[in-house]
Amino acid sequence: MRRRTFVKAMLAAPLCGLLAQGCSSLTDRAKRGRLTTAASSDMTTMDMAHNESVYWAQLNIFDRLFETRMVDDKATVINSLCANYSRSDDGLTYDFALREGVRFSNGDPLTSSDVRYSFSRLLTEAAVNTDIPLQIRGGKALMEKQAAELEGFRITDDTHFSIVLNAPNGGFIAQLSSAAMSIVNERVTREATNFGMDPAETIGSGPYYVAEWVPNDHFTLRYNEHYWGDEPTVKESVQRIIPDASTRDLMFRNGEIDLIDLSNIDTLIVQRSYKTEHADQIVYNQQVGMTYLALNETNEFLKDVRVRKAICMAIDVDDIVNNLMSGDAIRQNGIIPTGIWGHNENLGAAPFDPDGARALLAEAGYHDGDVSFELALSGDGPKLLYEAISNQLSKIGVDAHIRVYDKAAWLDKRRSGQIEAFLATWFMDYNDPANIMDVFFGGSKQVKNRSICYPDTDVMARISDAKSILDDEERREEYRRLERKLVVEDRAWIPLYEQARLFCRGERVERFTPFWAGYGDFYVKDVVLRKEAQT
Amino acid sequence: MSGSLVHNLVRRLAYAFISIVGVAALVFVLLRMVPGNPVATLLGEHADNETVERISSSLGLDQPLPVQFANYVLGALHGDFGESYTLGKPVSELIGPAFLNTLWLAIAAALVAWVVGIACGLLAAIRKGTVVDRLFMGFSLLGVSLPVFMVAMLLQYLFARYLHWLPVAGITDWTGYILPAIALGWGSAGSIARLVRSSVIEVLQQDYIDTARAKGRTNTQVLVLHALRNAMLPVITLMAMQFSGLLSGAVITETIFSINGIGRLSVQAIAGRDIPLLQGTTLLCTFVIVMGNLVADLLYNVCDPRVRKGA
Amino acid sequence: MDPSQNANVTSVVEGELSLASATTSFEEPASVLRRLATDHKVAIVSTVVIVLFVLGAVFAPVLTPYQYDAINLSNRLAPPSLEHLFGTDEGGRDVLTRMLYGSRVSLVIGIVPTLLSVVLGTLIGMVAGYYGGKVDTAIMRVADIVMSFPTMLLAMVVMYTLGGGTTNVFLTMVLVGWSGVARVVRAETLKLKESEYVEAARIIGVRRARIILRHILPNCLPTIIVLFTLDIPSSILTESSLSFLGMGVQPPSASWGLMVSTGREFLYYAPWLCFAPCLAIMAIVLAFNYLGDGLRDVLDPHLQSQ
Repeated sequence: MRRRTFVKAMLAAPLCGLLAQGCSSLTDRAKRGRLTTAASSDMTTMDMAHNESVYWAQLNIFDRLFETRMVDDKATVINSLCANYSRSDDGLTYDFALREGVRFSNGDPLTSSDVRYSFSRLLTEAAVNTDIPLQIRGGKALMEKQAAELEGFRITDDTHFSIVLNAPNGGFIAQLSSAAMSIVNERVTREATNFGMDPAETIGSGPYYVAEWVPNDHFTLRYNEHYWGDEPTVKESVQRIIPDASTRDLMFRNGEIDLIDLSNIDTLIVQRSYKTEHADQIVYNQQVGMTYLALNETNEFLKDVRVRKAICMAIDVDDIVNNLMSGDAIRQNGIIPTGIWGHNENLGAAPFDPDGARALLAEAGYHDGDVSFELALSGDGPKLLYEAISNQLSKIGVDAHIRVYDKAAWLDKRRSGQIEAFLATWFMDYNDPANIMDVFFGGSKQVKNRSICYPDTDVMARISDAKSILDDEERREEYRRLERKLVVEDRAWIPLYEQARLFCRGERVERFTPFWAGYGDFYVKDVVLRKEAQT
Repeated sequence: MSGSLVHNLVRRLAYAFISIVGVAALVFVLLRMVPGNPVATLLGEHADNETVERISSSLGLDQPLPVQFANYVLGALHGDFGESYTLGKPVSELIGPAFLNTLWLAIAAALVAWVVGIACGLLAAIRKGTVVDRLFMGFSLLGVSLPVFMVAMLLQYLFARYLHWLPVAGITDWTGYILPAIALGWGSAGSIARLVRSSVIEVLQQDYIDTARAKGRTNTQVLVLHALRNAMLPVITLMAMQFSGLLSGAVITETIFSINGIGRLSVQAIAGRDIPLLQGTTLLCTFVIVMGNLVADLLYNVCDPRVRKGA
Repeated sequence: MDPSQNANVTSVVEGELSLASATTSFEEPASVLRRLATDHKVAIVSTVVIVLFVLGAVFAPVLTPYQYDAINLSNRLAPPSLEHLFGTDEGGRDVLTRMLYGSRVSLVIGIVPTLLSVVLGTLIGMVAGYYGGKVDTAIMRVADIVMSFPTMLLAMVVMYTLGGGTTNVFLTMVLVGWSGVARVVRAETLKLKESEYVEAARIIGVRRARIILRHILPNCLPTIIVLFTLDIPSSILTESSLSFLGMGVQPPSASWGLMVSTGREFLYYAPWLCFAPCLAIMAIVLAFNYLGDGLRDVLDPHLQSQ
């Protein structure tokens, strides 16, 4: 008797679940105008002065003076809050005019003063994203609290201002389109006690505002009625935090989310399932960024260019691109990745030649197992890629043993220039070669910071100076010469590939345009819902 | 007699307090032994050494260890467990809601475990030596032997993937609790069934059961009034211990089903090296376990005179 | 801890219960085996299963033509075939080979740290129980602290502090494992201390260390053996759970927990990746549990009388 009721209860529970769950059909009334997505991790803060990895808030609740958008398949910097601008002949002074009538989501007008405050704030907070505003005259003084105001930022009136730089920078406008340079509401932010954490105090002029944020669970974006641009079809966007990739996969297949980022699902699975079952729903987006192998030149073996060259010849990049990435990647041969202006198509691929590599090692006086170094893997790094590379190197008698570090320890070790070798991916923040050339090879501080420890100070000085070349054509040529020197002659950088980021649209989404640089974060306004799912 | 009970209780409370402080100190020291600055994960790729140092000192991380620990304990006594590095909110604000989620999950799992466990154990005991007994006991051993992730994955794929009956993950309404509760309660059900079976069998062999039978009570009466009631003492003890176990570490279940509970919060805290948060969650879990053990001990002591001497 | 890791808590509680009225006696291994064979055939089958796993682990290099870490990117996620009986994983490695090598990790982690913590726990428990007084109080408070730690969280914190890897998994398990054994052995010792022959030995002036080793230890042995057998599966489960969370054995080493963890991503698309190690974990844990149950019935007269 007792057992029978129990059995009934067991059967009833899932059935109730079935009813409560309802069907997730295209025209579900409750879901109209709503986009549900899932991210692997939550935003840490919406404050750009304290975050440079998750850009959800920046892209959707704030605007910038410029945006980088895909125009005819090319990443192009276009005006956003800026209506027009001009640059002086010496490349030092920029005059800007703001778009008229822009309001924040709380109704306040957006003025030149908000722009100045936003840029100055990055410096007074003095945490991350200080490199761009530091180029403005008086930036360093403001950051070090020797000045109260940002000297190089001059306000003419509510919609006109000018910026004076310390040195010319051909990529400055592109830099202003990066998420870090978002414009915040000065009045609200000054009074805020918890800017970036409390949605009510985090006010921007973008198409959405944060209506609700339950940390670690979900956050909800809602359409900002004051938005100056076109009204998006998504009126509400719920982003659930689901750390586990296979769970997100199941949720998509179960109709619980409308759009899925496939980048954490094995490429072969994507090929065998998504690309066959949902072929017309796949959104292909080239990530603008580079996966590379870094070798530390202070290591007793790796300081020898012949060893580095042998390693380069032993890595079968095509095997990795075709099989590990299932073709969803472009092989890279230089430093400036595909999709960034200045990328060099003509840089030849290093040959895959294990025998030649062995011979080269022998010539350098090394035999099987002599060359040995640690391949340091951060806890969240690409394990399989590490294993594949380590395996390929073992075939020429190079022992690259993997050691797993916790992320903080890994970053610490790398920053102090002590990692012997590692694999990583660099994503571009703005469309300018300086965003990679300068970050990695702009000076001895940079090369140490990345545990590359490249020794040639002349080359590094030239890289740093290349920023000041105002003529784009001339700058491109200089970068190409430097890139060739670093990659082909010095083997200071071993390029691997540029990965694609694939998304899959659910049945409620008609069209979707990912962020130009291939981030997992995107402009929600670039998701277009089907008519049936809208109203 | 009651004086010694009070004395016993006070002594045990004192031990519980020592345990909690001991654990807090252990975690504090352990977490600070790890190489690498926790601020590094916070600031990410671009940060240089100067920035890291600046932020470290603003978080008080450059002070000597004993000072940091003293500050922490002082704060904790006032309910201030510091601020999470990665989530930027007071730890107490974060672990509160998470604990509530875990509590619901634990209650649901305990229900599954107790109902299934007691029913199976009782049935096996009554039918001792028969096929039913073997089947149920084999089943319960399977419960103890299956890794929780395996149960969770099978449930997820069966119910959510193929049958589309239940949500795959996350809690939007009560249906979200069903699968994780079964996954989590499964193992406990197995051990409860085993314990119920062996204690019921033991009780059934006592003389008073024969007396009861002789007095003309029906089998069901004997079973419920005498056997189960007397056999429940050790079972209740186990339940108390298990419940605190369920509360303090549904780490895997919460990870697989994306439940924003204490377990997942701890995993996240470890991944982001969020020391204040991890300290908060471990302290809370320890507290729960210590209390669970205390309750189990007291129950055991009150109910079983044999142990009272030994303890 | 998840409830499957509760197995050792359970066994301790059950152990204590049965000890409350048990009068233990030591038996010859041959007679134990004989009685297992007659009354507990499942235990014998379990022993055979365990022996097979051990043989597989020891002779792994002979049994398979592949290397456990040989990546072959052009043959990723191949379904089971004659060439690869259990298919290949996401790196194109032979799953059967990885399982054989992985069983080394699982068996070693199941047995070695458990043995260490049983030895340590027995020593500590006997000392605490026999000496009593302040020594006992101090030891039991420390055991209480360890027992009150959320096992999985402590393991995670320790693994995090020390970094992943087999040795550190060992340390973690010993750190957590000894306290349960110590408690049971202490209770047993307390009881034996009162027995006539220990009393007699004490009166004729036998040294304490000798009493502990010659009189108390042999009498605790059956309990210890049962505890050991029943703690092995929970160690295996803990290792697989840690590896599942990415905090246990690190690549390129193979362990069943790690294989399940990575295989989970492919459960729907390449189920062989996940199911083979899952079944292996289940089989070995079941086998040890059955063996432990059988041993307890045979070695423990209290339960045996039923």
